[in-house]
Amino acid sequence: MPVAGPIEALLAVTLVGALAVFLAPDEWAGKLATAISLVPVAVSAWMYTAFDGAGNALLGGDLAFESTIGWVQLGRYELAYHVGLDGISMPLLLLTTVLTTLALVSSWTPIDERQSQFYGLMLLMEASLIGVFSALDFFMWLVFWEAVLIPMYFLIGVWGGPRRKYAAIKFFVYTNVATLIMFVGFMALVFGLGDSISTFDMPEIAQALRAGGNLSAVAGIQPANLSLIAFTLMFAGFAVKVPVFPVHTWLPDAHVEAPTPVSVMLAGVLLKMGTYALLRFNFTMLREVAEANAAIIVAFGVLSIIYGAMLALAQQDLKRIVAYSSISSMGYVIVGLVAFTPHGFGGATFQMISHGLISGLMFMTVGVIYNETHTRMVGDISGIADRMPWAVGIFVAAAFGYMGLPFMAGFAAEYLIFQGAFASSVIPAAPLVTGVAMFGIVIVAGYLLWAMQRTLFGEYSLATDYDVSRAPVHDVAPLVVLLALVIVLGVRPGLVYQMIQDAVNPLLDTALQGGVALW
Amino acid sequence: MAGAFDFVPAIAALPLLAFVVSLFAGQYMPKRGAEAGILATAGSLVLSIWTALTVAGITGSATSYNENLYTWVAGVADGAVTLRLGVLVDPLTALMLVIVSLIALLVHVFSLGYMNDEGETGLPRYYAGLGLFTASMLAFVFSNNLLMAFMFFELVGLCSYLLIGFWFREDGPPSAAKKAFLVTRFGDYFFLIGVVGVFATFGTGLFAPITEGGTVVAESFPQMAEHALEDGESFFGYSAQTWITILGMLVLGGVVGKSAQFPLHTWLPDAMEGPTPVSALIHAATMVAAGVYLVARMYGFYLLSPTALAVIALIGGFTALFAATMGVVKQELKQVLAYSTISQYGYMMLALGSGGYVAAVFHLTTHAIFKALLFLGAGSVIIAMHHNENMWDMGGLKDRMPVTYWTFLSGSLALAGIVPFAGFWSKDEVLFEALIHGFGSTGTLGTMFLVAYAMGLLAVFFTGFYTFRMVYLTFHGDARTDVARDPEPVGWNVKGPLSVLGIGAATVGLINMKPIADLTGLHIDFLHKWLLGPEEGGWPALTSTGLHHYEELMHNVAGIDPAYPLGETTTLLVSALVSLSLALAGVLVARSLYNEPEPVEHTDKLGGAKTLLMHNYYQDEYQVWLAQGVTVPLARAADKFDQGVVDGVVNGISSVSLFTGSRFRRIQSGVVTNYAALMTLSLVLLLVVFVVLGGGV
Repeated sequence: MPVAGPIEALLAVTLVGALAVFLAPDEWAGKLATAISLVPVAVSAWMYTAFDGAGNALLGGDLAFESTIGWVQLGRYELAYHVGLDGISMPLLLLTTVLTTLALVSSWTPIDERQSQFYGLMLLMEASLIGVFSALDFFMWLVFWEAVLIPMYFLIGVWGGPRRKYAAIKFFVYTNVATLIMFVGFMALVFGLGDSISTFDMPEIAQALRAGGNLSAVAGIQPANLSLIAFTLMFAGFAVKVPVFPVHTWLPDAHVEAPTPVSVMLAGVLLKMGTYALLRFNFTMLREVAEANAAIIVAFGVLSIIYGAMLALAQQDLKRIVAYSSISSMGYVIVGLVAFTPHGFGGATFQMISHGLISGLMFMTVGVIYNETHTRMVGDISGIADRMPWAVGIFVAAAFGYMGLPFMAGFAAEYLIFQGAFASSVIPAAPLVTGVAMFGIVIVAGYLLWAMQRTLFGEYSLATDYDVSRAPVHDVAPLVVLLALVIVLGVRPGLVYQMIQDAVNPLLDTALQGGVALW
Repeated sequence: MAGAFDFVPAIAALPLLAFVVSLFAGQYMPKRGAEAGILATAGSLVLSIWTALTVAGITGSATSYNENLYTWVAGVADGAVTLRLGVLVDPLTALMLVIVSLIALLVHVFSLGYMNDEGETGLPRYYAGLGLFTASMLAFVFSNNLLMAFMFFELVGLCSYLLIGFWFREDGPPSAAKKAFLVTRFGDYFFLIGVVGVFATFGTGLFAPITEGGTVVAESFPQMAEHALEDGESFFGYSAQTWITILGMLVLGGVVGKSAQFPLHTWLPDAMEGPTPVSALIHAATMVAAGVYLVARMYGFYLLSPTALAVIALIGGFTALFAATMGVVKQELKQVLAYSTISQYGYMMLALGSGGYVAAVFHLTTHAIFKALLFLGAGSVIIAMHHNENMWDMGGLKDRMPVTYWTFLSGSLALAGIVPFAGFWSKDEVLFEALIHGFGSTGTLGTMFLVAYAMGLLAVFFTGFYTFRMVYLTFHGDARTDVARDPEPVGWNVKGPLSVLGIGAATVGLINMKPIADLTGLHIDFLHKWLLGPEEGGWPALTSTGLHHYEELMHNVAGIDPAYPLGETTTLLVSALVSLSLALAGVLVARSLYNEPEPVEHTDKLGGAKTLLMHNYYQDEYQVWLAQGVTVPLARAADKFDQGVVDGVVNGISSVSLFTGSRFRRIQSGVVTNYAALMTLSLVLLLVVFVVLGGGV
């Protein structure tokens, strides 16, 4: 097995690059970081074309770019460096590298102090994210998972808005506590598996759990209850990251305070860590528990969709609107996952990609407007369409993308989720529940159209003392790239949906029985 | 051999190309992108006519076409549906393609006069919008499955948003654009559930079966529904009958929204904020027509559900009357036309609901011509009046703009339903079909049809009245303002399209003079024959979208049959005479009230009723109240709850832990590096502890 494959190259380039950028002078740190980040883009693009994985990474599928190195023996367990990609993680990796580069370019205008540290942290975060989506050993995965938080914490806390300290600490503590809870849940499973495993290898654990009968009682808790408890703890932990109602309140604060490029990464990639982990852990390893509790899980999903959209409707700050709408959009992922149908899983995974691109685009567009107007309040801006026609044109396109306009990625993802959920045999009264969830597409149109009408159109006025002019090319260029990607994926979802389907279908291969319902 | 059908995708692709060209290169072109649009729509028109001729059998025998062309999403696993885009061409498609591309071409030409000559800015954006609008509608028309239809249906909605809000610097248009998209989106929400439901139920959304060498390789969903009904299957815990009705009603949501039927008609009058040529396009051939066309497209499905048919007929009849009464009191030219559009689409719905498939398609055709004409005529008047739309400021324009007057008059006679203008023939057929099916169908269904018929019939009077109130106020009498005394002249690019449509409005009814055909025995009901196709042989793919099949379904499944209470000929004559005399009565009342040198507003005599009508039965008020009076406070309450309770708990917990553990305070408020490192370190440590302990369990 090759030791230095492309994943190692990605990790090395981003880590070494981060170091180089830290040491570079502020003046050209941005350009340097962007240039360095093009390497992961190129490598991951090559990986996409050379992708030869088949099946699901955790369920014995053929992994692409796999490498394993034994590491240390810890008690009875062998920890290893084990990475590899399947059709779920490949698109997410691509999303990470592309979005990082675009976010770096969009930082050129707003980030005007301590640039070398800022850009270094961004690359450090990219490295961690690559690790999260490619690691297959739990211990290693956890290190990357936690490592994402540190750059994010600083990025919000140092370069953020007026309440950045509060937002950063809230983000950090909230998600860290969540990790702790999730960790306890996962370890309960590991103990329950007892002698049947001797590593933290995620595929091995997943297969042992799915095979059934391997769990034994831990501390007097019977196996069925043990998996229920583990499921609940892990779900709670990951739900914070997604975020799912009611553990979402760190998100708007973080977004409002974070500088635009950081919001792009937060909404575009970091939230997907939550749904990715839910898919890998809860819905793959403990499928029977998820099925048995589908009613409750789908309720969280639907609630997030409607509640998040209602909150977005009440906001005056453009960034808050997009932030809350992310909660709504990620709710669709939950609904798709819990459907336990091919298009449900596929659509949910596709929605991670699609929402990554569209929310990134949306945040960037708001950022470009903010760069010129220095305000994000709906009531402060009016009629800027004349002053910055291309940015506003892209805003309109992005908003319609968010509303699920056909031939844009969001529609494909949401449609597939709806299709999957409607036919679900797991969700009780699936057609009705799906119908309720779908009402999100009406509310999203309501708040985005309203915000556009107020800010972009009408007579020009601005409450701040800035002269709005056309945004510079390097501000608009990332928007154009993202919009193009959104349209390409909307017209041809198969570009990533084929590999996604290939990876999610094994999740449904065997029917599992014996899950315990919470009530 | 490459035939016309191979070029059908190009019918939509050409305007799409024009969209791209106008958007990016329009500013460098002398007419700011109009060139691209005119060329593209002209090309579409030529291709559409070629397609229609091919369908009619110019290549030897009549033929149709239904192929999947593009796999949008390939479902790999069992039970994962595959979603495709494809092209279906049958007589209905071919007819609609010709109508849409013709109107689009004329609207493009007219825009040269209305937009370019008036010195508008932002023209590349305008022509790009028109191009995309046309492309979306054309692709919607030849969609071969329900999902594809939905996708382009939504794009049509986007384009209406972009074009209604074209003058974004003012307050009105962006608000109207938002309303148009939002109200139709509300309808489309139900439509989308319907689409998902159809695919989940039948695994396909095909409108017509796909055949290869005479055998069916892929069944259509109306066919499968038909079989399910015969076999007494059940879906999702409902009987096939109930489930088909549910799905039909869900899809109908989109229809009601786009075709501006009660109660989702409220966006349409506001949409008058858009440029007038856009109104012509929206009302005559694209957006509003899309809804009705969809029902016609999947008529084989609706015929399986008498309940859905009754609902369609009632919505249609009610909307026809309801909108016509509001048209009576409007002051502005385009507002009258807006309500007339709502009302006329009501007639089409009435026809579809009561089994008058041919009548509905006929009225769709004639209406496209005369409504495009009326809007373009109104546009001409508006140019002349320096963009004043109030009819009370006009008067006497008859002599000053004769081309506009005579063509507008042709359109008005068609709208009012005066023989022999187009609208007479189609509206008469709509009402006649509703009448005979009302008498012939058993049980409640027949009664519903008769109720719907009665409302439609009553609306005829109001239509005649408001149409000619508009004509007299605008063109007759004395000029009431200086502008009306000296209107701005209009150019060939305005008069040309008007003349084409003016002749059309007078003559297009001749394609289906059913009463004459029935009375004389001459086979001159061409549209009927067009939709029916050849009597024998040919068109195997059409077995489920052909008129033959619909007639069988009407009789066998829906229980719709004709009956002639006064004998066939007499019923025909009486029906025609009644509707004609009502229309004439309306015209005459309008004439006696408004054909004066100095007309006064007689509608004031309506008193409280006028207030009600001016406020559109308070339909807008309650919908705005639902959006702003209910939803917004609810959202605010949710926000308060979120900030106060949900986040309050979080902050509460954290402050408790922060303050009780005061000795940790130094760490927590200290250097962030320590903090982060500690957190991570603690986790790793925890892991190690767990593992070591776990090893001993």
